[in-house]
Amino acid sequence: MKKRVYVVVLVLVFCVLFLKACVRRDYPDNGEVRNSVQKEVVYTEFPPSQKTVRIDGVDYLQSQAPIGKFGGEIHSSTIGEGPKTFNPFNSKDNISTLMSDIMYDGLLSTDAETGEPIPKLAKSFEITGNDYIIHLRRGAKWSDGKEITADDVVFTWQNIIFDGFGNTSTRDSLVIDGKLPAVEKIDKYTVKFSTIQPFAPFIRMLSTSIAPKHVFEPAVKKGKDYFYTFLSTNTDPKTFVTSGAFRLKEYVPAQRVVFERNPDYYIINKNNEKLPYLDRLVYYIVGDLNNEVLKFEGGELDIINLQGANVARFKEREAHSDYKIYNLGPNTGTMFLSMNLNDRTNKDGKFYVNPMKQKWFRDVNFRLACDYAIDRKNMVLNIANGLGEPLYTAESPNSIFLNKALKPYPRDVEKSKEYLKKSGFYWDKKGHLLDKYGNHVEFDLLTNAGNTEREAIGVMVKQDLEDLGMKVNFKPVEFNTLVNKLVNTLDWDMVIMGLTGSLLEPNGGKNVWMSDGTLHMFNQRLEGDENSRRFDWEKEIDDVYVKGALATSFKERKKYYDEYQRIAYEQKPFIYIYSPLIITAIRTKFKNVYPSALTGVTYNLEEIYIDKGQ
Amino acid sequence: MQILIYILKRILQSIPLLIIVSILSFFIIRLSPVDPLAELRLNPSVSKETLQKETERLGLDKPIIVQYGKWAKSFLQGDLGITSNGEQVSTKLKERIPNTLLLAVVVIFMTWIVGVPLGVLAALKWKSPADRILTVLTSIGMAIPSFFFAVLLLLFAVKTGWFPVGGLTSSNFAEMSFGGKVLDITHHLVLPVTVLFTISLAGLQRQMRANLLDVLDSDYVKFAKAKGLSEFKVVYKHALRNAINPMITLLGFEFAGLLSGAALTEYVFQYPGLGRLILEAVLRSDINLVMASLMMGAIMLISGNLIADILLIITDPRIRVKGGVS
Repeated sequence: MKKRVYVVVLVLVFCVLFLKACVRRDYPDNGEVRNSVQKEVVYTEFPPSQKTVRIDGVDYLQSQAPIGKFGGEIHSSTIGEGPKTFNPFNSKDNISTLMSDIMYDGLLSTDAETGEPIPKLAKSFEITGNDYIIHLRRGAKWSDGKEITADDVVFTWQNIIFDGFGNTSTRDSLVIDGKLPAVEKIDKYTVKFSTIQPFAPFIRMLSTSIAPKHVFEPAVKKGKDYFYTFLSTNTDPKTFVTSGAFRLKEYVPAQRVVFERNPDYYIINKNNEKLPYLDRLVYYIVGDLNNEVLKFEGGELDIINLQGANVARFKEREAHSDYKIYNLGPNTGTMFLSMNLNDRTNKDGKFYVNPMKQKWFRDVNFRLACDYAIDRKNMVLNIANGLGEPLYTAESPNSIFLNKALKPYPRDVEKSKEYLKKSGFYWDKKGHLLDKYGNHVEFDLLTNAGNTEREAIGVMVKQDLEDLGMKVNFKPVEFNTLVNKLVNTLDWDMVIMGLTGSLLEPNGGKNVWMSDGTLHMFNQRLEGDENSRRFDWEKEIDDVYVKGALATSFKERKKYYDEYQRIAYEQKPFIYIYSPLIITAIRTKFKNVYPSALTGVTYNLEEIYIDKGQ
Repeated sequence: MQILIYILKRILQSIPLLIIVSILSFFIIRLSPVDPLAELRLNPSVSKETLQKETERLGLDKPIIVQYGKWAKSFLQGDLGITSNGEQVSTKLKERIPNTLLLAVVVIFMTWIVGVPLGVLAALKWKSPADRILTVLTSIGMAIPSFFFAVLLLLFAVKTGWFPVGGLTSSNFAEMSFGGKVLDITHHLVLPVTVLFTISLAGLQRQMRANLLDVLDSDYVKFAKAKGLSEFKVVYKHALRNAINPMITLLGFEFAGLLSGAALTEYVFQYPGLGRLILEAVLRSDINLVMASLMMGAIMLISGNLIADILLIITDPRIRVKGGVS
């Protein structure tokens, strides 16, 4: 019997050692690598902008990038369940939007270098006051050979968007005093949009996809319910009539979406050959990040966004590999700590937030004290592997509207204590913080469980705040529960959340910053609370947001949005923490890659080509 | 005739069961704090009006009893409803069922072809080195968690490049010849089948071995041997027939697990099967999709058992005589 035990133990030891030998040691947390990635925020020399040339009566858009070779494929990926619809007007999620943007071009797009609106399906545009005049390309065609004309544009805007088909977010944001902009056809190649009053964000909305009238009109006539299922993912790829550089070839659920070259696209190269260069564009649908990384390592993917520890690992091997890593700077996501400033009661007359806590959270000194106590740099180093940028402003550091006058500052516990003292807080002998009525400062800090990044931030925020003598109960809760608390039941004290914004248009943050917005989290007003008391600075932000949307010149708008960032910086309804960096790896065989902090890496898919020989 | 009445009775018996299953699952999903619109609510560019419309479209503004009634009514009419993205649940399921069936059938076929003979071998050579080696091997098979094993094999595929990293078909599948397609699918199936095969082989082989050992130990086998019947006749004509009965019941259960049993493995290998679909649906609280798959699971289990019982009646005369059919 004893002998057997020995044998078993020996076998086990052998197994453990054997397995241990197989496991490669994890890459060390290499500070040098980290720094080298961080310093190389991408600097790209962009080719001259594309320009319109007329050949045989057709207005082509001519790429000014170096001439490449035709052929080949690029394999990319999306995480999640894949597209939910191919109808550009129904999409509500990023993946569906990405897919329909490939298939349907918009009138305008964004310059990768400057962020200015530039013509795409439009040949040119003029803005005079409230009027936007769009000149279309002559001879640009749908994939079934029909010409793209003003009728398609007017139909798209009037009969689909303004009439409220599909996802109505664009329409809803354009309603001013119950009125919508007007759109009218001037001639076959000219369309005029007129807004009721100056509305600057409108120009960005002109990048919305344009639909072929002859295909969409029958669907629109069948009503909204039918339209909701129109061009669903079950549609036969051959029946799509599209205008983009690539057209749908195949959709295999839970596996991939394959696009093929549009042979009659309106963008040409300097030799006047029709682009795109690539024959095919494949998006794999992968379930999670790990699988995506494995697919890239296995050579099945050509391009990937890297996160966390993977960056250091890939960076180390970059020199001997066939890919190059680009740091595109902070993404549009903002991670923040927010307090519940709500002082209202629910239907039963009960306060959403305990009145004792209300006095703390609604006190700007308390918020500033918390702000100064937070060690952002430490969090970037320890949680984001150094791949993030500490954040102090409401706009992302890459935004063209960033208020550069708002300076970063380091952690300063002494300053925090001063702010607290100013409001009458004091410490007992054990170092616990008490407010001026003698209550212990203790509250709950929530975030969504399962998001390891936010959970890690929560732990560090808790430590930082406990240095001030506060008692913080950190409770990660399930995502849906958290959202329900934030937008419905409003029974929370402090939360760590993230939101995505836009680098080009702050007006998208309207729902967050306007005091009656649907996501005005820090002081959420439910139905019936519309006329409740507001902070003076909330009113100021409302005012600035309205004016910022009405102003037309960039300079004037910037002034207003600078103002809102300043108020947010001083009042700290959100205590911003950091923005993660976007790190993208792409195989070096792809040429004409001009990464841009504003538009990413693959915005110019039609110009990208493969060159293996070097 | 008797069998027909028996089947009819069983079907009638299963109706209340299905109702209870559906009520339980529906209420558990709906009463859980999962909000199907949570993602939309946190999207700054989604307007209040859109949210309102979505709530109405999904019927979330009605009391839960009404929601259940609506679902049950359309289910009885054969309409599985639409997913939260507006696609038909039935088409969604139809996309995935063949893939999962393919995987499951290949796995079951292989485990039975290999497992049963190995079990017989182990029982006949009881306590011989061959039996011992088989026991060790199957223990290892049983001990490896499928998830872990799948990840290991995936890493193996990445390092060697011999196998594709997940999926079911290559990106140029549509242009392949028929032979090429078969090869491509086989190539993609090797790893997931290996995982599932290893895991279920162990159980089957041990079950078979134990059953046969039991039977070989029984008096009538001893008697047959004593009477001088050849070893071959004793084992393959008399013992095996009795030993196989419990295996048929097992097959009934396996049939039930067919469509949803391999979810973890499917997830790791990014296999486009039902398991992944259901997992994602649960996370999103996509009620129609989850309900459809749960009901399908319940129906499969019931019919699996029914089929196994009918097979037993055919293979085992004792049940017929003793009034197992009553």
